[in-house]
Amino acid sequence: MKILVVDDFSTMRRIVRNLLVELGFSNPLIQEADDGNNALAMLKANAFDMVVTDWNMPNMTGIELLQAIRAEPKLKGMPVLMVTAENNREQIIAAAQAGVNGYIVKPFTAVTLKEKLDKIFERLAAKGASA
Amino acid sequence: MNAAVTAPAGEALPPEVIDLLNSKDGAAFEQALDTMVRQREQHLFRALGVLARDLHGAVTRLGADLANEGMPDSMINARKHLGEVLEMSAQAAHRSLDFVDRIRPEAEALSQNATAVLDFSRSETDPAAVLARQAQVFASACSEGLNDMVLVQSWQDLAGQRVKKVVSFIESVESSLLELVRLTGALAGREAPVEVAKVHSQDEVDRLLSEFGF
Repeated sequence: MKILVVDDFSTMRRIVRNLLVELGFSNPLIQEADDGNNALAMLKANAFDMVVTDWNMPNMTGIELLQAIRAEPKLKGMPVLMVTAENNREQIIAAAQAGVNGYIVKPFTAVTLKEKLDKIFERLAAKGASA
Repeated sequence: MNAAVTAPAGEALPPEVIDLLNSKDGAAFEQALDTMVRQREQHLFRALGVLARDLHGAVTRLGADLANEGMPDSMINARKHLGEVLEMSAQAAHRSLDFVDRIRPEAEALSQNATAVLDFSRSETDPAAVLARQAQVFASACSEGLNDMVLVQSWQDLAGQRVKKVVSFIESVESSLLELVRLTGALAGREAPVEVAKVHSQDEVDRLLSEFGF
């Protein structure tokens, strides 16, 4: 599974990558972008299966990236997991309204990440089965 | 105006106002009212004028200070130091992650070797088997500890985001100060420069201020 990890902090990108590998995802298939703009360009140029993104980033924030993904016919079905320090109600609601697939508040544990990922894939499988 | 006006309870109107309100001469009433309103307006405008002059003086002094001494060193240093904190904390977090990357495969190899030893072991009391089991326990605890260590490094991201917010606050204070100086220049009749974009360096600050003769 090809995953794009988007965060302006290289430390956080590395931590998320590390956790994903620990959960069994293939390291070479994980790619990184440091803001929404670069992420969107990478998503348009290559086929990815999932995006894990931060909220607060320069140039294009995570919520703007999510909105751009949902607005792009080729990308709109892409699962997006938001991993962010933003925990205020309005922002979580905004992400939900923009069509986020999962929302994790930092700091988080590998167990939380696994739970959210499992839930995303369960929902997608159910959606695929009913479609 | 038919009914005689009396002062409402608790709000004693001056006698001349009551006389005026009860006056039958409409023109005199209007004129007196105009005079009163004008007097009030003049007080207000004078107070505003004093305020504007004080503000202008304060901003001009600030502009002169900024031109002579530049943006206060403490402000520039604060931003610089915060930038260094950000960089150093990222380096420290990466070093910890490097350590994890180095040790994790060693822990895995130790566990596999221990398993191989146990497969060939003839008795459970064989010293090699005892050591191998201990090695397995250690390798497993080590892997768990390394995973925790990776997660704990997210402090750098959280602390870093707060530091970035403080840096952008300091930048906005600097920009506001310069904008204030620019406005004062415009008020004083000097030619206002083109829209002030974000000011990023001391050179830009000094160049901007020099446009006003500071």
